[in-house]
Amino acid sequence: MDSEAERTARESLELAFQMSNILDTGLDRHTLSILISLCDLGLNPEALAAVVKELGRETPTTPSISTTPSAP
Amino acid sequence: MDDGKAVVDLVKQLVNRLLAAQPAPNSTESTTTAQSHHQQALRYAVRILSSRMTPSIAADEAAMAESITRRLATQGNSSDALTFADLYSKFALKTGPGSLSNKWALLYLLKAISEDRKTHKKLAQSDSRVSSGIFKMSVPGGLPALFDSESNGSSNGISDISRRKLDKGRHDDNLRNLPVKETPEKGWSGGVLMVSRDPENARDMAYREFANLLKEENEVSEGVIVRDVLYACQGIDGKYVRFDKVIDGYALPDTLKVPRATRVMVRKLCELGWLFRKVNGYISESMERFPAEEVGTVGQAFCAALQDELSEYYKLLAVLEAQSMNPIPLVSDSASSGNYLSLRRLSVWFAEPMVKMRLMAVLVDSCKVLRGGAMAGAIHMHAQHGDPLVHEFMKRLLRRVSSPLFEMVRSWVLEGELEDIFGEFFVLGQPVKAESLWREGYHLHTAMLPSFISQSLAHRILRTGKSINFLRVCCEDRSWADAATESAAAAGTTTRRGSLGYGETDALESLVTEAAKRIDKHLMDVMYTQYKFKEHCLAIKRYLLLGQGDFVQYLMDIVGPELSEPANTISSFKLAGLLESAIRSSNAQYDDFDILDRLRVKMMPHNTGDRGWDVFSLEYDARVPLNTVFTESVMAKYLRIFNFLWKLRRVEHALIGAWKMMKPNCITSHFFSKLPRAVKLQLTLTSRRCQVLWDEMNHFLTNLQYYIMFEVLEVSWSNFSNEMEVAKDLDDLLAAHEKYLHSIVEKSLLGERSQALYKTLFVLFDLILRFRSHADRLYEGISELRARSADPSLPARDKTKSGRHLSTKSSEPGSWLGEGRKAVTQRAGEFLRNMGQDIDSISKEYSSLFGGFMSQLPVQQHVDLKFLMFRLDFTEFYSHVS
Repeated sequence: MDSEAERTARESLELAFQMSNILDTGLDRHTLSILISLCDLGLNPEALAAVVKELGRETPTTPSISTTPSAP
Repeated sequence: MDDGKAVVDLVKQLVNRLLAAQPAPNSTESTTTAQSHHQQALRYAVRILSSRMTPSIAADEAAMAESITRRLATQGNSSDALTFADLYSKFALKTGPGSLSNKWALLYLLKAISEDRKTHKKLAQSDSRVSSGIFKMSVPGGLPALFDSESNGSSNGISDISRRKLDKGRHDDNLRNLPVKETPEKGWSGGVLMVSRDPENARDMAYREFANLLKEENEVSEGVIVRDVLYACQGIDGKYVRFDKVIDGYALPDTLKVPRATRVMVRKLCELGWLFRKVNGYISESMERFPAEEVGTVGQAFCAALQDELSEYYKLLAVLEAQSMNPIPLVSDSASSGNYLSLRRLSVWFAEPMVKMRLMAVLVDSCKVLRGGAMAGAIHMHAQHGDPLVHEFMKRLLRRVSSPLFEMVRSWVLEGELEDIFGEFFVLGQPVKAESLWREGYHLHTAMLPSFISQSLAHRILRTGKSINFLRVCCEDRSWADAATESAAAAGTTTRRGSLGYGETDALESLVTEAAKRIDKHLMDVMYTQYKFKEHCLAIKRYLLLGQGDFVQYLMDIVGPELSEPANTISSFKLAGLLESAIRSSNAQYDDFDILDRLRVKMMPHNTGDRGWDVFSLEYDARVPLNTVFTESVMAKYLRIFNFLWKLRRVEHALIGAWKMMKPNCITSHFFSKLPRAVKLQLTLTSRRCQVLWDEMNHFLTNLQYYIMFEVLEVSWSNFSNEMEVAKDLDDLLAAHEKYLHSIVEKSLLGERSQALYKTLFVLFDLILRFRSHADRLYEGISELRARSADPSLPARDKTKSGRHLSTKSSEPGSWLGEGRKAVTQRAGEFLRNMGQDIDSISKEYSSLFGGFMSQLPVQQHVDLKFLMFRLDFTEFYSHVS
């Protein structure tokens, strides 16, 4: 990667991060960069979104993890 | 798989990041649990990623950005939206090495996460069922929310759908969990997730087909009924829905087993078919009998308009029929998804055509027996409707229907053509002679007058066309065409066809007004200048109403002796010659030759014993086109007035003649003195009585004549000429003339109401004439007496000779000649006594008649007769006597 491409990549990442902030996705820069690379590899964005959602959603509810078995 | 390796690494990293991001209250727990947790999450992530989940929308980067922007904007943060749009435009410009190759995927990802977070917040975190998804393996329960949130529905709906899917999918999940667990390493080839709806599910399909089959066996499927109803609405019998003559309508046969509701619905829908049959029947019937019988152009236009409406209706039916074949494109895959058209949908579709069709049927009913203008009027009555749909529809229909009528009006008003083969126009023409063309040639046919043309407008239309025809036929005038074109230009419409339509009554009115104004003005011009209407009126007044005094005097003098002969011996040619000489010798000779040429002598039909006086009259030959005004009946009225005036003149003439005879002069006074006293006294008395009576008569006659000439003729004439000035059209002129004539007739006691008075007047006239002959005799006698008494006195020496000479003639009765002075005196006394008695009786008769006349006069209605009364009885002499 030459410096030119690097700069472009950084700027792109910066822009994507700003957009992500506006949309209030709650993603940090690093996660976003991973997601971008996954997208570029041709992974289905829908599925990626599902992963982020499922794993991210888990976080606030972890304290109640013990109660989950009782749920249907 | 190099790529695959990279992906797995990245996923691992991602999971690490995501799990590390969470605050770790449970970090105090054993690392083993954390480790297993981690493992579990990673496996879960891989499974999701390897699913066949596909984005539900096509990959379009710009559209995606646009959608996000709009979404932000609708959520109220427009500044965010602007910033985002700005960022995106920059982002999109990043191309080449180092930039992202799949921008769309990134955008989609961001959007999906952001939306999910939002819905998630709305769920208020309490929904533990969803959040605890991964441990319960209730994946399908969690995932669909992702797709359905796309529809932005309420969160309740979403969770409902999720639950349903959950219930349904649970069974399958158990089956599929196994391969997922077994082949996590194989990545995306193993895990199959059933998330999208399953129309391709063979079992479901089979079940649906089975249900359909079952339905068709048991009862008629709705689809078939819908098709039948569609047929019925075109007047065709369907497989089940047929026309029932008994109930007069389309219905399902009783043998068919269908729910009551369906049956009712079908009947309701098929009302349209019934109405259609009616309308279509009317159209075809009318079309059939068109060439033979008279449907009329309006009827044809009506049929054509109906046909057009029907073709609109056909279009709708065709669309519906095509639609009925398509299944409903529903999102839900419920088994009830039938054909697009159900009976209920049909009833919604039919609502509007039903209204129109009902209207058409009503119109057809009400117009069946009507034609022409009456038909247009009937339709117009229906157009007075508050519903804008109905109003609009009727207006459209009426535009078509009334176009032939408007065309007729246009050509009638501008060209005077009556293009009305079927008798539909509200102006009716009939072949008449030229002189009665105006009065009887055309009239309004009120039954054919459509109600949107007012009565006054119709009259104006009638008159305008009539004027044109009058100009063309009677006046042989060609220049009216210019006036017509001019008026059309002024009204803003062209003279071409079809420029007027229903609803443009204002335009029509202005056209008619303009045309009427110009044509009438032109007609008036022609009447006044080319045909000299005014001059002719004046001539009639001068000659027929005896306004030209010197002419009348001459005529009276000349024809007097001739007219005293019995009527059957008088030659009208001779009288015409006398008339000619009367014209020559009076001021009338300076009059226009054309006018004098029209003055004729007319001998009225006479009975035996009639004198020339009774049958003589003057006549004025009006000719076309003036005889429109001076019709036969008008001329008959003039004749009556002439006869009356002529008689009046004659009596006056006679009285003047009598005055000439009895004028006292010195000779008579000289002669009086020589008479013997007794005779002298008697003579004076008789003569005095005669003079008093004459004076009385003269007073009456002079005042009567004054009244007739000045109060009646001149006043009426003045009114008439004023009205003639302001008359705008021929009707005005006719009315003015009618009024003029009527006022003359009424005021000069010729009217119906004053017939008794008129008779008395004529008896008085006769009496005066009788008096005249008596007075003549008296004064002849007196002058003879004078001659008799003077003769012997003057040449005294010839007394015996002449006496002898005269005595030869004395054998003749009534002659005093040849007798002695005494005898003369005696005879004179006797004669005077006789005359005195005659005059006495005439005087008595006269005063009684005159008394009657005076007493009848105030009873008359006419105001002007009061003036006559006042003049006659100025000194209240007569009122004192009576």
